Amino acid sequence: MNYYLRKAAFYLAALWAAVTLNFVIPRMLPGNPVDILMAKLQQRGGTVDPAARKAYETLLGTGGDGSVVQEYLSYLGNLLRGELGVSVSAFPAKVSDVIADSLPWTIVLVGLSTLLSFLLGVGLGALVGWKRGTWLDSLVPATTVLSAVPYFWLALILVALLSTSLGWFPLNGGYDVVLDPGWDGEFLGSAIYHGILPALTIVISSIGGWLLGMRNMMVSAMSEDYVLTARAKGLKNSRIMIRYAARNAVLPSVAGFAISLGFVVSGSIVTELVFSYPGIGSKLLQAVQNNDYALMQGIFLVITIAVLGANLAVDLLYGLIDARTRDRSAVS
Amino acid sequence: MTTLEVRGLTKTFHKIHAVDDVSFTLTAGRTVALVGESGSGKSTIARMIAQLVRPTSGEIALTGPDGEPVPRRRYRDNVQMIFQDPFASLNPFHTVEHHLARPLKLHGRPRTEVPHLLERVSLTADFAHRRPHELSGGQRQRVAIARALAPGAKVIIADEPVSMLDVSIRLGVLKLLARLQREENLAVLYITHDLATARHFSDEVLVMYRGRIVERGPSDDVLVRPQDPYTRRLAAAAPNPESRFSLGGQP
Amino acid sequence: MTWSPKLGAGLGLAALIVLFGLFGPLVTGDPATIRDIGLTPPGGEHLLGTTVTGQDILAQLAHATRGSLWIGLLVGVMATLLSGVFGIFGAYAGGAVDEVFSVFSNVMLVIPGLPLVIVIAGFVPPDQRGTGTISLVLALTGWAAAARVLRAQTLSLRNRDYVAAARVSGEKTWRVICVEILPNLLPILASQFVFAVVLAILSEAGLSFLGLGAANSSTLGTMLYYAQNGFALQREAWWWFVPPGLIIALFGGALALVNFSIDEIINPRLRDKARRRRDVVAVEAEVAPVEQDAVLTVRNLNVVYQATTPVHAVKDVSLTLRRGEILGLAGESGCGKTTLAYAINRLHRPPAEVTSGSVTFDDVDVLALGPEELREFRWVRLSMVFQGAMNSLNPVTPIRAQLQDVLRTHRPEMSAPDRELRCAEVLRLVGVDPARLGSHPHELSGGMRQRVMIAMALLLDPQVMIMDEPTTALDVLVQREILNEIKRLRDELRFAVVFITHDLPLLLELSDRIAVMRDGEVVEYATAEDMYLRPQHPYTRQLLASFPSLTGDAGALIT
Repeated sequence: MNYYLRKAAFYLAALWAAVTLNFVIPRMLPGNPVDILMAKLQQRGGTVDPAARKAYETLLGTGGDGSVVQEYLSYLGNLLRGELGVSVSAFPAKVSDVIADSLPWTIVLVGLSTLLSFLLGVGLGALVGWKRGTWLDSLVPATTVLSAVPYFWLALILVALLSTSLGWFPLNGGYDVVLDPGWDGEFLGSAIYHGILPALTIVISSIGGWLLGMRNMMVSAMSEDYVLTARAKGLKNSRIMIRYAARNAVLPSVAGFAISLGFVVSGSIVTELVFSYPGIGSKLLQAVQNNDYALMQGIFLVITIAVLGANLAVDLLYGLIDARTRDRSAVS
Repeated sequence: MTTLEVRGLTKTFHKIHAVDDVSFTLTAGRTVALVGESGSGKSTIARMIAQLVRPTSGEIALTGPDGEPVPRRRYRDNVQMIFQDPFASLNPFHTVEHHLARPLKLHGRPRTEVPHLLERVSLTADFAHRRPHELSGGQRQRVAIARALAPGAKVIIADEPVSMLDVSIRLGVLKLLARLQREENLAVLYITHDLATARHFSDEVLVMYRGRIVERGPSDDVLVRPQDPYTRRLAAAAPNPESRFSLGGQP
Repeated sequence: MTWSPKLGAGLGLAALIVLFGLFGPLVTGDPATIRDIGLTPPGGEHLLGTTVTGQDILAQLAHATRGSLWIGLLVGVMATLLSGVFGIFGAYAGGAVDEVFSVFSNVMLVIPGLPLVIVIAGFVPPDQRGTGTISLVLALTGWAAAARVLRAQTLSLRNRDYVAAARVSGEKTWRVICVEILPNLLPILASQFVFAVVLAILSEAGLSFLGLGAANSSTLGTMLYYAQNGFALQREAWWWFVPPGLIIALFGGALALVNFSIDEIINPRLRDKARRRRDVVAVEAEVAPVEQDAVLTVRNLNVVYQATTPVHAVKDVSLTLRRGEILGLAGESGCGKTTLAYAINRLHRPPAEVTSGSVTFDDVDVLALGPEELREFRWVRLSMVFQGAMNSLNPVTPIRAQLQDVLRTHRPEMSAPDRELRCAEVLRLVGVDPARLGSHPHELSGGMRQRVMIAMALLLDPQVMIMDEPTTALDVLVQREILNEIKRLRDELRFAVVFITHDLPLLLELSDRIAVMRDGEVVEYATAEDMYLRPQHPYTRQLLASFPSLTGDAGALIT
């Protein structure tokens, strides 16, 4: 099968698995989420009509009556139409609206920080590997320890140092609350200013993994024959390092992107809490604390889709940068 | 007399005939050489006979000295294999003794035979406690030969047994195999790409090309006076300094 | 096992933290005791200060460390078992089982772990969230990455000949997995286990920090949760939230160092730290008496590998290569022939050093060249063809880029169309269709790749070409074609060749002169004819005798 088709098929299967997991989890676990939700809804003055109950049952299970297959099908139908139900914690907002409001914040923050961390980590890793035996080697154990630091704790420390003590950065939030969100310079400037510390947290915590992986592959690549050939060819060192050694050494980092992205996303969710960042991670916690199951599931699905999408994009990119993958027919 | 008969052996990988309708017989006391280039299917044949790869069709029939077919569960007592790369065919984690004691035990022989086995391949008994990385390539291959003998095998499949060894010890290992073959009255299938050793160490030669046997016969006939065009090309391609220097001739 | 400082530091630190978790709770007293000395800074009676409700932080830290380590251990064991089942068993079974297991692991891998854990934890009522449940959930969402690593490794081990040999001996499947494969996976299993433990402690901390941890549990994460909810940050009570995170970071860092050392054990390339300081040790500028017509003169060259016990790889070698001559360099593995060839071009890798001698190329003292001069000398005057053509070509760029690289660097004035023309021209010279310029190395056969390497070596019309076992990996028919090609090109273009191989008959047929090497020394150096008809050294005779003739007397060898 064609490489691209195979990848697309795999991610469809992964998506199906995530969607199904989302359907199965509330049904398998103890507790009666529908009743809790209805009670909450009542507290908030929501309509407790049978239609609302039915919608929640489709999402979370009925507790006995009704066919599971039917529920599953209408659940899938609802997802396709983008109907994720009503959020009780942000009542009367719809789950899809809550997500639409918070998702851009997370995508920009996590997306940019991940990209930055990847580029910096891989770049530094290539350099450290290439200059093995110099003082740069000491970066390796240092970043190793950094990558074992919990994201949220690093966030706490950075806040304590740079915000509370020095007052360089705001304590929390995604923008200055006196401003109206919009595309004007003042708001964007405030958003960037508020984003620096969370982004710094993500970059510092995740850079070590990229750096170490790239450095090790770089060291391996440098003893490959094609690097020897490049040296024998009298090429300039910079060219050998970039076009021969790093070009090959980066492949496993790209191939391992899926694993690393999972860690970054997980870490970012908790980081958002520390900064009360208006992103999707904070909303997920809000949902959990308020038993807002519909929002919880919606956010899980959206995060999963975003991660799957990013991984698919990286896999397609991998096909471009390594011709061998495209031509290999067997499933690897 | 133990004989292993291969009839119509075929193996298809992804619609490609790696081995295509191959038949031959191995007889006790005789060495048959299977010659061909890489990808010709010779290793696949070895792996099918060693029951590592299942044939697509065809059969492999083993007959004991009594003329009766050997039952399936006794097959591995009788048919063993020597692999090409002695650096890969010994488990780096285990001692030489493990490599010999296990097949002995599996085939109902006492592990006290380990020193005897080592002796038969011209190694001393103290090799038993060494690990593969402490041995040279030639010593490793001797251990691999001892392992193949351990179950009391009567048919030995030697898949390029010396091609990974240094040139100066190759003949020694081949001579060892030849001696064991005579002493134990073994049936040997010697798989190689080297026509010269095939000629000197075998009675009969099968030449393989793209999964088929293109020429067969007594080794002197096939390799000194090849008939098939492919065999001729092979024979002509081998480095041949004789022609350059015979009677002061020019290259 | 090599005991590196990293491994020692990592293990030592990890052991200290484990001891603290094991014995700390026994000596620090009750962590829950409330006193009216809220937020006392460290010192005096409370070494690490107190919480907002006056609880002793050191006591809390000891209990929390124990709690976190216990969860880490539990999850580590479970996740490693799961990854073993899906990775090792799947890969060994192969076929459909492997396919299904591998797709399943990959799906589990791409679904982000913590969000899934949060959702699961969110559904379980707090009173039913025990340590066991949380550990199980963490294990279920955390095994996939390890399974992928184990699968890849098992797939490679499964195809090793020693596994095949065990099967041929009649070993049962479970024994092959447990006795033959598993021991060789131990370093990787250990590294994956360590990784799983760290990941579990980190994930649990995150989960507890969110208030979703196990009920009534006391871990470093719950400590941070209480610190956050007690506004430790706003009250600048750093002694409350710094120590728990520090323990996690130190433990994680310690185990990461352990893993780093395991990586070095698995991959020896990462181990040797030798750094090239110099490739040539001060060699006095000695003008070697250069023979008439000599293009390359090597005089008394010595190369030493500077290891703990230095290895003298090339000993006092003197050779002369005349214009247009083919010089054969024969010897077995480890005889120093490749080291010698590389040292001529100063391509020998550290820790090898040229300790004395001279290499003169025309009138150039190669050993005295500065880095930039050396770079300009390479390939212009002397090009090389290496043994494994597959590995000598960069696997990820097309042939064109690799040929053009040479022209871009050494002929910067050349225009793009001219470069393209020259590349096509050299490919035609070696009998490769120039349409192949767009191909990647893996799309070419072994023989074709080697032709491309030779074409690359011809690009700048060098005077000398060093060929290191250029045909050893090839089949005999392809070898014959390539040898004929080399002879033809040499006759047309008049470059000289140093041809290195273990195949003495090949050299006897091809070369003008031959040097036989053993243990770093040239034991015999003569014309091909003399060496064939009148070999002097016993080792030469032994080598000659190692290659039986196809047409000679039959049966002469079997004794």
